[in-house]
Amino acid sequence: MSPLLSVQNLKVYFRGDETVARAIDGVSYEVHAGETVCLVGESGCGKTVSALTILGLIPRPPGEIAGGKIFFKGRSILGLKEEEFQQIRGKRIAMVFQEPMTSLNPVFTVGDQIKEAIMVHEAIADRQAHSRCVGLLKDVGIPSPEERLRDYPHQLSGGQRQRVMIAMALACNPNIVIADEPTTALDVTIQKQILNLFKELQKARDMSLLYITHDLNVVREIADCIYVMYAGIIVEQGKMEDLFEHARHPYTMGLLASLPHRAKRGRILYSIPGTVPDPAYKPGGCPFHPRCEHAAGICKKEFPEMCDYGDGHLSRCPVLYERTNTVTF
Amino acid sequence: MTKFQPHSESSSEAPPAPRRTQGQEFWRLFKKNRLALAGLAIFLIFFIIAVAGLSVTSGTRPYFDPALVRLPEKLRPPLSRPNLEVLIPGEMPPLGMYVFGTDDLGRDVFSRMLQGAWVSLTVGFVAVGIAVFVGILLGGIAGYYGQTSITINHIFLFCLMLGGASAFAFGSLFPGVILLIAAIAFLYRSARSGKPAKPSLALAWLQKGATSVDTLIMRFVDIMLCFPSFFLILTVVALLPASIYNIMIVIGLTSWMGTTRFVRAEFLSLREQDFVTAAKALGVGDRRIIFRHMIPNAVAPVLVSATIGIAGAILTEAGLSFLGFGVPPPYATWGNILSDGKRFIFDAPWLTFIPGFAILIVVLSFNLFGEGLRDILNPKLRERY
Repeated sequence: MSPLLSVQNLKVYFRGDETVARAIDGVSYEVHAGETVCLVGESGCGKTVSALTILGLIPRPPGEIAGGKIFFKGRSILGLKEEEFQQIRGKRIAMVFQEPMTSLNPVFTVGDQIKEAIMVHEAIADRQAHSRCVGLLKDVGIPSPEERLRDYPHQLSGGQRQRVMIAMALACNPNIVIADEPTTALDVTIQKQILNLFKELQKARDMSLLYITHDLNVVREIADCIYVMYAGIIVEQGKMEDLFEHARHPYTMGLLASLPHRAKRGRILYSIPGTVPDPAYKPGGCPFHPRCEHAAGICKKEFPEMCDYGDGHLSRCPVLYERTNTVTF
Repeated sequence: MTKFQPHSESSSEAPPAPRRTQGQEFWRLFKKNRLALAGLAIFLIFFIIAVAGLSVTSGTRPYFDPALVRLPEKLRPPLSRPNLEVLIPGEMPPLGMYVFGTDDLGRDVFSRMLQGAWVSLTVGFVAVGIAVFVGILLGGIAGYYGQTSITINHIFLFCLMLGGASAFAFGSLFPGVILLIAAIAFLYRSARSGKPAKPSLALAWLQKGATSVDTLIMRFVDIMLCFPSFFLILTVVALLPASIYNIMIVIGLTSWMGTTRFVRAEFLSLREQDFVTAAKALGVGDRRIIFRHMIPNAVAPVLVSATIGIAGAILTEAGLSFLGFGVPPPYATWGNILSDGKRFIFDAPWLTFIPGFAILIVVLSFNLFGEGLRDILNPKLRERY
């Protein structure tokens, strides 16, 4: 089955005065229909940029798509004109942003804004649009939707606002919803509610979800497939269980080790030493080698290739790949 | 991990806080600012007087006739009774007395003030309307499309069009037609080819960016700000036929720079806001984003500067009329009542003091109202109340 959305070897650079920040440096991933795909990584590793590129929202200049392709339903969408892109945005691919506090326009009521999301793409009567808004708010679990529609964003709580944002994203029944850290700005109890909401909605509407997060606990809740990003590249990818049970890349291992867990109570949490490299000055070879405890001489020189562990589980660490193979054989 | 019900928000909802609409909240804060409230009250009274004044002083047989000359009754002080022996019945002041006295031609100053109120009001509103329109337009373009570069192409096209239009204007039809046709052909060609991936080397310099839209507009603003605007207005008014509409337009066209800067600054910060990106991600087009999402958010500082701008425009008009460049004589404005009265300042001080006070109070009320608005619309200043 061909994937709904496929990103192939995408490269997005940001040109500064003297430097070129390689925000995304050859990233490929696929989202199949009805699937939840998680992009995981630290801040600044290119997760959000890759999502914005899918929607054609990278500001150009300074941004620049240096290479690669994006296919949506088998059609290349990178070279589309602005008007054609507007047909896809919101209607076929919708996005939920990180900050529900600032993602709603403060001068219009919630109802106006959801209605706009519908009316931009569909020519329907105002009353029909209104009843659809009520239905959407019900779907995202907002009590007494009729009254909330007349509220301004500042009258809602953070969780409610994020629900409204989700309702706006769902307004035109998109095939894919891209959720860019939708729970980061919310407190933990609300996070859980929003996650459950995403799961329910996805089941009910049979849509795909591209979920961008840095929170592995969230990933464990909802993911089918995981892509771990580091410094603009994908370092490991695979099914959720495979990655959590047998992480094959030192970076993924580090991330998992730094998760708090009941068994680790009382001990100091592991943290990966060092920081993410500046996208304008990435280390040569494997970008992770300065922070890696398994780093060998080859890591400084050669850019690592993807190593296949079978069943779609790939990892960009030849050193560990060799080691596992020598143990097995 | 604790299990959470997905929709526990609904079950344990606290009793809702009293909900106010934005309008109610605004009014609540506004009421606290006494000076601004007084400003608003005076503004409303002024508005009513001006509109009423127009209806009672215009027409062929107005109730209050500002142009009626009663030479025997000249320079009568305020509240004085008319001398019934020298007046024919049609010349009687409508209220049975000269409320604000009479001027050197025996015209009723009260009627003239009523007529002048309408002039001041329309000059203030129309001039500021023009200024705000131009300001939002240019400021919006500079803020939203500012980074778009203007290529030598565009400049060339602009020169062709300008040349064609001016050739037409000066009566030489043939070169005008040629130039305009060339401009249209040029436009058509560039629209057809869109953006060629590799323009031929000979024409590549045409695609070179000369400057950005932002630079162009904002430097034009700077140039306009360099002129001492009152003297610019004097020059323009001296060249144009004296009429109230010319004055409005000229005042409007020399006072849009502040609004442009405001709107540009607002747009620059709004453009980076999340809700604009969110609207884009929903497939909303540029025009709709500008008009529906950004302008309503940028309107607050514009409103404030417009209110204060009205005061400035009224003052400018009064100044022009005072210097004799304003509205032509039979028509009364506060400025020319003042100007006519200054010759008699010791004999008939009311002729200068009454319009002077009227200007003072109206301008002050607009300024106070404007500042009150600014304090409320700017959350940082709001904390004082």
